[in-house]
Amino acid sequence: MNSIAAQRPIPALMAPAPDNWKLAAIAGVAVSAVAIAALPAAASFWITGAMVAMVAASFVVNAYRRHYFGGLLVSPAIAVLFVMNIFPLLWSLGLSFFAYQSNQQTIRFIGLGNYQKLLTDNLKAPELWANLTNTAMFVVLTVIAQMVTGFLLALLFAKQFPLRKYLLILVLTPMMLSVVAVGVFFSYYYDPTFGILSYVIKAMTGGEQFILMSNKTGAVAGIVFADAWMWSPFVMLLVLAGLVSVPKYLYEAAAIDRVSAWRKFLTITFPYIRGLLMLALLFRTIEAFKMADLVILLTKGGNGTMTISYHVIRIANEQNKTSEGAALSYLLLFVVIVLTNLYLYLANRRAKGS
Amino acid sequence: MTAITKLKGFATAASFATVLMVGGATYAAAEEVVLRMAVPDWPPTRIMKKFFDEQYKPPSGNKVTLDVDFIPWPDFYTRVNASLTSGEQKYNMSVSDSQWLGAFVEGGYFRKVNDIIDADPALKATMAEIHPAFYNAYSTYPYTSSNIYGFPQFPDVLVTYARKDVICNDEEQAAFKAKYNEKLPCTGEELDNMDWGTFQKVGEFFMRKKGDKLAGQVLDDDFYGIAYQAGKGYDFSSMQINGFIWQYGANIWDETKIPDGQAEGVVNSPLAVKALDHYLSLLKYMPPVAKTGTMDIFKSDELFREGKLAMNIDWIGLGEASLDPKTSKVSDKLVFGMTPGLRGADGKLIRWNNLGGQPFVLMTWNTDLQNKEAMDFVKWWLSPAIQNQFAAGGGQSAVKSVYTDPKYVTYRPWNRAWAASLDWQKDVWHVPQFFELLTQQQDQFDLAITGKQDAKTTLDNIAKFQQDLLKNAGLIK
Repeated sequence: MNSIAAQRPIPALMAPAPDNWKLAAIAGVAVSAVAIAALPAAASFWITGAMVAMVAASFVVNAYRRHYFGGLLVSPAIAVLFVMNIFPLLWSLGLSFFAYQSNQQTIRFIGLGNYQKLLTDNLKAPELWANLTNTAMFVVLTVIAQMVTGFLLALLFAKQFPLRKYLLILVLTPMMLSVVAVGVFFSYYYDPTFGILSYVIKAMTGGEQFILMSNKTGAVAGIVFADAWMWSPFVMLLVLAGLVSVPKYLYEAAAIDRVSAWRKFLTITFPYIRGLLMLALLFRTIEAFKMADLVILLTKGGNGTMTISYHVIRIANEQNKTSEGAALSYLLLFVVIVLTNLYLYLANRRAKGS
Repeated sequence: MTAITKLKGFATAASFATVLMVGGATYAAAEEVVLRMAVPDWPPTRIMKKFFDEQYKPPSGNKVTLDVDFIPWPDFYTRVNASLTSGEQKYNMSVSDSQWLGAFVEGGYFRKVNDIIDADPALKATMAEIHPAFYNAYSTYPYTSSNIYGFPQFPDVLVTYARKDVICNDEEQAAFKAKYNEKLPCTGEELDNMDWGTFQKVGEFFMRKKGDKLAGQVLDDDFYGIAYQAGKGYDFSSMQINGFIWQYGANIWDETKIPDGQAEGVVNSPLAVKALDHYLSLLKYMPPVAKTGTMDIFKSDELFREGKLAMNIDWIGLGEASLDPKTSKVSDKLVFGMTPGLRGADGKLIRWNNLGGQPFVLMTWNTDLQNKEAMDFVKWWLSPAIQNQFAAGGGQSAVKSVYTDPKYVTYRPWNRAWAASLDWQKDVWHVPQFFELLTQQQDQFDLAITGKQDAKTTLDNIAKFQQDLLKNAGLIK
């Protein structure tokens, strides 16, 4: 089909045509504004919704008539993204400037008050800072543990050996378990009276029951181990995909040139897996930043293991301080965005350099 | 609601009325009423649902269904809180911890029921039968005011769980007497008369290593004398520490003295510090998990049922599992008593404790018909016949004519400690800031329990936080 021949002329701004999205948008904004100002919330909510639907429909008709099929195909995804992600995100950003609690019927604009309180209050700021440093510690430790273990496992499983297939399934199992199951499993694993860890150490030393989780070092080690146990297979899977994609002939050529194993790794293997390693690093860093589940299950945040995510859960969900929780989430989001951009910048610079 | 749906509703109602008139008004009275209720998933609520389905006949003649959402305990608060605050208005009734009353009454979710009770003399009489400690904690907000919100669903107190086979063993009895020159408590009455000093000695005396002898048998694992809650989660240390604080004559921030009652100077008074020190001093005789901040009410119960403990202080609500041979290694060896107390100057025990258990409440968005049926159900639930059945099935009753009935103590082995414990119960705060107060306090207690800070610093931090928070909320002048 000839797309240019099928195109209709664009309607004039004020012409009431179904594909005149500019007019629809102007009318929509005007009607919504009047509705919000004049009608009660329950009615204006539905009127604004209808206006949004009208503008969206005019967009669709416009795209159809002008043959923007690419845009049309993407639009359902964008609509879902907007409804499920972007709108709540903006809504909570708005909320963070108000004094609002979900279990109270009042709301009051306080500007940056929530942020100011979180960052400067002499009771809240030190707590926030302690939780942030704890989180940073968990990010560094869990990600290092997972990357190293996952990488070594991938090197192992890249080779062929008997029962490899079955072992691979076993190694991947932790990743598929529910976090709650893993948390309960490890809380028994570390339990001084019932746990196997205490039992083994006691049998070896003949001394007291071993209490892993009684100090910060032990509690952090326990959580990092559980997290690495669960998520190293994920890193392994990504790295393994990279390893099997390295063409055999490169190794054969290297063998003819009698290249050392280390050099083979550095110049042949590594460039193939670097992208995937970076991806694993990015995924795991973001996930580690949000860690709360294992902490709740294993220590309830005790022994200096309180993370920022758990802190947000407490404030926003348990104590119903919705707007303060939103403000804290945005501080957290800011940190994650800065870190991710820094990481992407470094990754790109490396890619250009090589 | 738009005008069109209103019109539609009117048309439906009109046609329904026509059908009724045509068909004769013989069945006009019977309506179907559904009461949706959120409850924690455990025996006391399962029994209630069972009784309702099997026995309840609404006096109105309507067809009433109790649609119960059984929610696991660890999720219970989160789920109920999310449902209420989201405005979905899903439930007509809910079980609620007594401390949540303030938060959910102020939020406009829990319905004040004074009007209904005033209009119903029989119900008013029943309410007067409820033990005052539980009436105040479960029904009133502000605490001890005349506004009524809830009714007892499952009242609960702390009791001492003990192992007869261990503490009544002749060798152990003789050795204890030789070591401390006092009798090792063995019967229920002796447990009732136990003070914290004896409790501590029991702890010290029964700390045994693998290979040691216990009651004539060689142990295949370490054994411990005593345990009570010392966990960081929810209220799993406050509920025990509050008891110590009251027994010493100190106090927590007192919500009945708003706005003059202070937190600083009260919460961290020298007596309160002494009380907390006493609580902390017993931890070293407990299983090592106490040092991790995860020895909550479930953990100490599990240790007891697995046969690792001589005595445990825990809620009655967890007791059924310890009597069941399928879940308990000590099911046939149990004896129960009141919790230990502090010996006063006159030799009598001071045994203040924090009460447990839960009321149930009605919601503000219920229709009149739903409220009527709900209140009929409440009346039936609090009637002596059903309360007796409930207690016989493993529940407890705070209704006086029920718990003073001689057969009450025969229902369960811990019931002998029930009536005497009731007069010694107080409750923690019911104000809307409850959760903030609790989490900060639990965090601070955890630091003390895990040995990172002393009792004085702990209570100073708590007092400072409470003073600040409550002052900002206008509850302290």
